[in-house]
Parts: sequence; structure tokens; C-alpha cells
Amino acid sequence: MAASLVRFVRSGFGRSLNVARQSAAIVQTRTTTTETRPTVRPKDPVTHTQLSEFGEYIAEILPKYVQQVQVTCFNELEVMIHPEGIIPVLTFLKDHTNSQFNNMIDLTAVDVPTRQYRFEIVYNLLSLRYNSRIRVKTYTDELTPLDSSVPVHQAADWYERESNCSFVFYFIFFIKCETLLGVLILLRQVRYDDEVKRVVAEPVELAQEFRKFDLNSPWEAFPAYREPKDAPKLESGDKPAK
Amino acid sequence: MAAVRLRILYTKILGSLQTMPQDAAYRKYTEQLINQRFNHVKAELDIENLEKKINCGQIEEVIAQAETELALSRKMTEWKPWEPLVEEAPANQWKWPI
Repeated sequence: MAASLVRFVRSGFGRSLNVARQSAAIVQTRTTTTETRPTVRPKDPVTHTQLSEFGEYIAEILPKYVQQVQVTCFNELEVMIHPEGIIPVLTFLKDHTNSQFNNMIDLTAVDVPTRQYRFEIVYNLLSLRYNSRIRVKTYTDELTPLDSSVPVHQAADWYERESNCSFVFYFIFFIKCETLLGVLILLRQVRYDDEVKRVVAEPVELAQEFRKFDLNSPWEAFPAYREPKDAPKLESGDKPAK
Repeated sequence: MAAVRLRILYTKILGSLQTMPQDAAYRKYTEQLINQRFNHVKAELDIENLEKKINCGQIEEVIAQAETELALSRKMTEWKPWEPLVEEAPANQWKWPI
């Protein structure tokens, strides 16, 4: 009985000792690795230079419309154009033998209310021949209509209507003027009117006022891009206040 | 057959490019590209070897590319994209983060 107890205790000890030895071994192997930040994507300078050369090529061929070209840190090529150049640039990228971006993946918008032209329209294109992607960006404000890219890419049809409804800016449709909410327009837009003290039905109008923003967040969004606060500048002849 | 069609298309493209100014980048690069492919077509009689030399998919695809390039060059003569920039973007338009 006593012997079995002792044996049990010794085996227990042995197990814990083994565990300790194992964890010590693990700790040792961890400290010998040289990797310091394994979760960061490795930079690919070759692709970066290829993309930036192609971006320069496009900017050289289309200087009338291309305002800026950049390659993001994720190796994505972006071409910023003037809104007049939507159809020329998209047709060029689709038809030219060196580009052949005949697949439109996405058409969206980005709303930055503080800018003069608040909406930034983004076209994402894919080239099946060369297996590469490109992003084309334009801008507009609430009231200026843009050319529709449907004659170039059929896929743009749905996305244009969707961005029209979400962001309330306008595309000139070549074929017909319909919105995604065509059904909703048949229903009634109602609101409670305090003056007449009942619910009132008025013609449907979608306006910017329906979009509500709450952009103030207590957290700083981009600490790496903090801008230095402007120090008060002195005109020549002024004396600094004591 | 395919070679004949390609020759016709390439001559048409080169003709359409002549209407652009000599220093237009589109004209320069496209002439270079089309002349390269045209020379391959003239040199190589066998279709399979021609496809390998051009290295842009099958000969039917090459024909389709030439047709689109022809349509594009005609539109480019209308749009004249070699002219200087239409209008600069407002100052902070492309600045990110805001």
C-alpha cells in the first residue's frame, strides 16, 4: 500500500518534471528564432517597380486626363483622372493591346464630405490576359453628373445605379433613367407633418439630407500621418508677445 | 487566312496612327508594338510558331486584339489624349488620409 503510494507520487513527480523539461525546451527553441515581426507582409520591390513603370506608361499616353498615378504599399496601381476622361481612359485600358483590362470588377464611390468634390468614384479593373489589376479614380460633387461607363463595360450598369442610390450623385444614363429603387418610387414616401397633425404623403425625393453622418470618433485614426500644428507665424515687424 | 487578316488589320492600324502627331506617346508605343507583330507575321508562315513568337494567346485572340486596337486608334484620333491636362484637381482632392 505504502509502496504503491510512493510509486504514484514518484510517477506524479516524474510527469511534472517532464513537463517542466519540455516547457524549458520550448522556451529555448523560441528564443533562438530570428524572426521579429512575422505577421507583416513582405515587401515586393519587383512588382512595385513593374507597376510604377506601367503607371508611367499610362500617364505618358493619356496626359490630357491623368492627374496622378500611384502604387499603394500593397502593390496596387491607382490612376487618378479628370471626370471628363472616364470614357477615353476606360476604353483605352480595355482596348489597348498592352493593357487589355476588359473586366470591370467593381464601381463604387467614397464620400469625403470635407472636400470640394466630395465623391471619389472608384473603378476596379482586371486584365485576364496579363493577370493584373488597376484602379481608376475620378471625382464629382453632389450635382455634377458623370458620363456613364456602360458603353465600355456592361457590368457598370448595376453598380452605377447602386452608387446613385447610396450616395445620391448622378450618372447620365445613355439608355434609360431608372433607379434601383424603381419599386420604392411607386410606393409612397410619407412623413408626419406637425402642422397638419397627421401623416402626409409627398412625392418621393431622395436628397443628401437623408444621409446622416457621425464622423467624430474619440480615437485618432492615423497616428502615423499626424500633421504638426501650425505655430503662430509672425509677420516681419511684429514683436513677439511677452 | 489568319495571316492575311492580320496583315490587313495591322496596315489599317498603322494608317490610322499616321493621322496623329509624330510625338504622341500613343502613336510611338503602338507603332512599335504593331510593327513588331507585323514583322513576326511576315517572317513566320506556320501559325503555331507565329502564336509562340507573338506570345499573346491563340491567333484568333491576336486577331481580336488587333481589331480592338484599330477601333481604339480611331477613337483616339477624336479624343486627342496627347494634349496637356484638361484641368488640375483641386488642392486636397487626392490627399489621403484627409
